[in-house]
Parts: sequence; C-alpha cells; structure tokens
Amino acid sequence: MNPDVLIIGGGIQGCASAYHLTKAGVRVTVLEKDWVSRHASGVNAGGVRMLGRHLAEVELSKASMALWAQLDDELDDDTGYRARSLINIASDEADMATLRAREKKMHSVGHFHEKIIDQQELRQRLPHVAPHCIGGVISEADGYAIPYKSTLAFRRAAERHGARFIEGETVRAIRQVGNSWLVKAQRSDYEAGQLLNCAGAWADKIAVMMGDNVPMSYSAPMLMITTRMPHFATPVVGAVSRPLSFKQFENGTVLIGGGAKGFADRDANRTRLDYSKLAAGSKNAIEFFPIMKTAAINRMWAGLEAYMPDNLPVIGPCTQANNGYHAFGFSAHGFQMGPIVGKVMAELIIKGGSAFSLDAFRVDRFERKVL
Amino acid sequence: MSDSTLQDSYDIAIIGAGPAGMSAAITASTAGASVVVIDDKARPGGQIYRNVGNSPLHNSDLLGADYLQGRSLIDSFNNCPAEKLSAANVWHLGENGEVLFSQNQQTRSLSAREVIVTVGAMERPFPINGWHLPGVMSAGSAQVMLKSDGLVCDDAVFVGTGPLLYLIVAQYLRLGVRVRALVDTTPVSNYIQSIRYLPGALAHARMLAKGLGLLNEIRRSGTAVYRFAREVKIVGEGRASGVCFQAKGQTHQLDSNHIFLHQGVIPNLNMTRSLGLKHRWCSQQLCWKPTINNWGQSSIDSIAVAGDGGGIVGAEGAELSGKLAALNQLHRLGRIDKRQRDSQAAPSQHRLQHLNRFRQYIDRLYSPQDQQRLPQQDDTVVCRCEEQNLGQLRAGFDQGARGPNELKSLTRCGMGPCQGRQCGHTVSELLAQWRDEPVEAVGYYRLRSPMRLLNLTELSQFSRVQPKPDLEFNSSSTADSDSDIKSIKGAAQ
Repeated sequence: MNPDVLIIGGGIQGCASAYHLTKAGVRVTVLEKDWVSRHASGVNAGGVRMLGRHLAEVELSKASMALWAQLDDELDDDTGYRARSLINIASDEADMATLRAREKKMHSVGHFHEKIIDQQELRQRLPHVAPHCIGGVISEADGYAIPYKSTLAFRRAAERHGARFIEGETVRAIRQVGNSWLVKAQRSDYEAGQLLNCAGAWADKIAVMMGDNVPMSYSAPMLMITTRMPHFATPVVGAVSRPLSFKQFENGTVLIGGGAKGFADRDANRTRLDYSKLAAGSKNAIEFFPIMKTAAINRMWAGLEAYMPDNLPVIGPCTQANNGYHAFGFSAHGFQMGPIVGKVMAELIIKGGSAFSLDAFRVDRFERKVL
Repeated sequence: MSDSTLQDSYDIAIIGAGPAGMSAAITASTAGASVVVIDDKARPGGQIYRNVGNSPLHNSDLLGADYLQGRSLIDSFNNCPAEKLSAANVWHLGENGEVLFSQNQQTRSLSAREVIVTVGAMERPFPINGWHLPGVMSAGSAQVMLKSDGLVCDDAVFVGTGPLLYLIVAQYLRLGVRVRALVDTTPVSNYIQSIRYLPGALAHARMLAKGLGLLNEIRRSGTAVYRFAREVKIVGEGRASGVCFQAKGQTHQLDSNHIFLHQGVIPNLNMTRSLGLKHRWCSQQLCWKPTINNWGQSSIDSIAVAGDGGGIVGAEGAELSGKLAALNQLHRLGRIDKRQRDSQAAPSQHRLQHLNRFRQYIDRLYSPQDQQRLPQQDDTVVCRCEEQNLGQLRAGFDQGARGPNELKSLTRCGMGPCQGRQCGHTVSELLAQWRDEPVEAVGYYRLRSPMRLLNLTELSQFSRVQPKPDLEFNSSSTADSDSDIKSIKGAAQ
C-alpha cells in the first residue's frame, strides 16, 4: 500500500516529521540514501540553543525548546538532552556594546530569555574563564543533546507509530502526475500523495526535481573532541565575536566547534578537514580557557551541511507544485529546531497551515531579488 | 641524525623507520630521490629492532641473533642520504601527500609526491574475560619494557600462541627472570591443518628449527608449560590475581599478579584507514589489510604500504617489501625505467614469494582460536576505552545498529583514545557473526585524523611556514613503576 507521505532524508527534520505525521495517523515512508542520522544530524555539535537566534527564528526556537524539555518522555527514549545554560563570552567593551544593542532589539519585540551578565557573574558560572573576559550573555534554558541518539529516538518513535524507513535508497527522479508524486529511486519506485524534502546537504537537488530552484550551498563544519578532562565547565560556551564554541559533557570530554569549515565532497559523501582552521580554533579555546592548554584531542571530524545565503532555513510548501514541502538549509543550527519543525511540517501537510509565521523561510524568497 | 635543513616538499615521504621504512629509504635516497623519513621513536629500528644500537642491557646478545641482525640495516639507514626525523609523530596523512606531524610540541607540515606508509603491526587484541584488568598486559608490551628500559617482572604467566610469545618467554629465561608458566593455546587442530603447508615451509628449515629451538629452550628450563589450553579467563577482583583455563580435560588455575597475553600480530590500520584506502578481509591472517599490489601500491596510486602494515610479512619480508615499494616509486618519479625497476626487484620478489609460503604455514599453525577473538560472555569487555562489553554491543545491534559506525555512534564503542585499535577487528567479526554475513560486507570504522592523541597546544602551534629542524631528542621512559617490575639493567651475566 502506498504511503500518504513520502519523506526524502532520514535526518532529524525527516525523522521528527515522520514522528508527528504518524502520531496523527498518517502513513509515512522515509527514504534515506545512506542510513538514518548518517550526516549532519548525527555528527553535529548537539547544541540546543535559543541564544543569538535570528529574529525570524526565535518563535520557532522557543517552541522547540519547550518540546526538548519533555522530549525523552514524549519519545520514551534517551536523547541525552541536558539544560546547562549557554553563555556567549564578551572579551572587550565592543562585545558588550554588541550585546546591549541585541538586548534592546530583543526586548522591543518581547523576547527576554537572553540576559547580559557582568564579569563577576561570568566568573561564578565559569571559574576557569580567562581574566580578559569581561562579561557575556546567558540563556538559562539552553544546553545540549546527543545528536545521533536524538535523531534515532524520533525514528524509533515514528516506527512504533507505523512509519517505514528505507535506508540505502537514493532518489534518482521525481515527477508529479495528477495527485501523485512518482519517485524513482535506486532500488525501487515509490508513490505518494504528499512529498516532503528533508534532504539536508542534498536538498537542492531534490528541490529541483520538485520544481523549485534554490540557491543552497553546502559545506563541512568541523568539530573536535578531547579525551576526558576533570570537570571545569557546566554551561555551554560561545564567544560574542570569535569563532569559539565548546561544551563539556558529563563523561568529561570537551567538544570544540566554532563553525570553521572544512572541504565538502558531496558526491563522494566525504569531507576533508582544514587543519589550519582547527589550529586557530585551538588557539581561541586556550586563550579563553587556559585550562585547555593540556587537553588531548581524541577525534576530529566534519559533517555535510546545507547553507542558505541568509543562513535561514527553507520551511514551507513548494511554490511550483501542490502537495510538496521543504524543510532544509538550516545552515548549521537546525538540530535544536528539529522537534518543532517536525510538528510544523505535520501541521502544514495535515491542516494546510501553521500558527507560526514562515514567510522568512519561503523557498522562493531569493527569486524576487533583482541583482 | 642529520643537520641539514628540512624542506617543505619531497619526492618521497616515508612514515616509519622499521625494517620496511629503513629499506625503502636506503633504496630511494641512494637512487637520488629526495626522501624524508618520519618516525615516532627516538631511534630507528621499529618494534623489531627497538633500541638495537642502544640497548639498556649489558648483554643484549641474549635477545637473540635476529634482534642484532637489525644493526647492519640501521647502520646503512643512518648512512643513507635520506632526511630523518625522529621522535616525530605523524598525526595526519592526506591522500594529497600532505603530512602533518608533531615534533617538540609543535605541529609541522610538509608534502610529498609519493608516500610509503610503513606503520607496522600491533598485537592482536585478546578479548577474554578479565583482559582489561590491571596486571594484564600484552606480551609485546612486556618486551617493549625489556628492550627500551630493561624492565621485567618475575613469576608472570604467559598465555597465548605464536612465535613472538615463545621468543619473549625465552628472552626472559635467558635473562634469569622466573616465569610462572607458559599457557599455550595453540589447538591440536592447528597442528593437523597446518601440515599441508609444511612442504612449503620446509625450504625454511633454519626458521623452523629456530622456532622449535625456542620451545625446547623453554621446556628445558623447567618452566611449566600447559599445551592445548582452552576457555582461558583472567580471574581477580579489581586486578588480575590469576588465570583459569582448561587443558587436556582438566581445569587449572594459576595464581599470578602478572598475566601477559599474546596471539599474534595484525596490521596497524589507523593510518591506512584514515587515508581512506581500500581494505579487504584476509581470511588467512584473520585481519583487515589495505588492498595493495605486488609493489605495495594502494588504491591511491601515489601511496604505497610496505611491511607488516600491509599484511603480516615479518622483519625480512618487511625489508624486501620496503625496497619494492621504493623501486616502484622511483619508476613512477621517472628516475628509473621499467626494465631497471623489474631487474632490480627480481631477487627481492623471488625471496618474498618464498617467505610467503613459510608464512602460510605459520599463519595456519598459530591461527588464533575463535573463542579468543570473539568474546563469549556478556560481561567481557570489547572496547576498553569506553568500557563497552559484549552484552552492551549486542543490545546496540538489536536496536538496529548494523554496521561498525552505527554501533559506534550508538554505544560509543571505538570512540576512545585508541581510535578503535583494540576493538575494531572484534566489532567487525562480531557484526559479521550476528548478521551471518562475511566480515568484508560489514566493514570497519570510518576513521579520521588525528591518528594519535594530539595536544591542543601542539595543534595551536600549527604553521605552514617552512619548518626549521631541531633534531636533538632524548628518549624517555614511559613504563609504569609497578612495584613488581624490576630493572635488570646490567643484571644479565
């Protein structure tokens, strides 16, 4: 029997959408070209944050945070989610000025979850921070989760509601005839009334097959992780104006990110690392936290991630076809949004609309620009 | 070590200065290629010839004639024109020939047109109950402590199979160290099944005699030898207090605070896997090997693998394969023509074929038992770094983790500092068993650089500017100071 909805891509967006759809009684099949959570959803930094979001994303991000808070119960699984707070560190007065301007803007539209902290409070919360750091901004509800486990938790919950996941199945061609999407994949053909594109770093190819051109690019954000260290940082840490981001997990390992990008070879499913950029990231980590001087790096990696020119995702219906939808291009900050995006996509597909304003995320938002 | 200036690029970069690396360097550099050899130890020689020229023992002759044979190779290597970097840790090798290494707390980079990877072998993990307990060590580690620091310990029990195990026991006995027992796990069936390879091995009567000589030497010493041992378990709460096994229908328990395990060696995969080279499962040696041709050339044509890192060949085989890899790369670089390459290679190729026939016999005779490669009980630890046992991995498999990488993501098995060295083969074989598919279909961990733990400060000192050499190094001891371990520097009479 054909499913009602065919989802292309078994990352967190695809799995969360499959969960919310099947929970509402919709029949869903997910096609994944490798295996579920193989790419960005499984290897990202696991940041679950509202702090510093683009204004267009704040409502969705806040709603997603509410879902994260009870996600383990909802999915009856272990996502590894921990609310530890997130602090972006200011290292000079210019940073503090940036924070005050941001605060003013956020307050003016009614968002109060980001709070500026002074040097004393910064040191209380992060005793090992370097002396030159003078303050920062904190979002108390932020934290992290374990990406692979979180994505798998959605998958398993969706499967319990009847979703089918087909792994190792690459989509080759898509066409729409009448009310049916006909999808030709590597091993088999599929048919469904509704089609959802959650194909991550490959989503622009799927979008084109569905009739939407989109100026998406892709890259390979890099991460590295240390061996276990004595506990020294509870909050997740970032910096206002420097590419620094790290978090210490409960087992003592420290994950260091910061958004530096390696080299992506999308066709070969591979990434190469840019070690000089990782070296710069190491320098920053040591400069902000001298205790990291002796940290031993255990592993380094990168994942393939989709980026949009404005670093905002595409969330919403196809413009060129009926019954087609997109959720991709999260530009390296989509993990936290996964739970709410799944819910929004289910609402769009089932009810034809969402309570959230999705205008900033339209797939054709770049079409109107005259260059 | 040379004082000349390190260049930022070379014709050939050789990773490792064991027999394969040294011989490749001699062949390539004397033919005029610019060659750099990067080795992580303070002195050349690799594992087999560790500290040959600088033994802490007063009478290193007791370590055996083979060990000393390395001296002449090391002398030729030291005299060849290759640039030699010692105590330099390669932590990234790119398929483009980029080499990143740490030396003196700094990250340095260079690049090469051709690369020869000679990273050697490691001891095969021995995942039986209790193998992770303090007091249990690999026999090879015991030998490293002996060769580099002259440290030994009395009354240890040696357990396992293979020539290296017998050699280490014999070396101990020659130095007057008491050995509690040798528990030999070579099963009767191996003796029977290896007979058909015996004719090929007879051409190497000297090597066969040497092996038998070691066993006789151990027996004559009065050391207890238990043969055909099965169901081996380490016993002890919190640390090893003994070993329990069955032999000839009887259950034995030997008390000892030091158990040394060994069941052969396998290629060290971390560099060849991180490079993304193609690998195949070798059923003769029960291990993964990079796929290479007769010249050691890998699936990336500018990268060759020689020595035990490409499949276990032994010291002599490593030396020959290093030479062959170098000759082929000299040809690729246009320094010699095909005819020159082939004629210079012929004697080595011939000898290598001979050795391979002997190897077939040895591999069959000392093939490790299934029950010592595949953990049998749920509480047997598989991944030592992340403390994952058989039961936990099985649960991960039952949750849907079909491949090594999914299992790693789900259970953290293989995520620790050893980068899967200790659990990789076990996990491949376990998944193959559970899936009822060939190991080849299961695959191995997707590995990445760094190939060893990398200090954050070292990495932050990264620079692409031309590095300046600083080649003064001291070897340092890393052995722990366990009270039972004693120094025998100068003790041998």
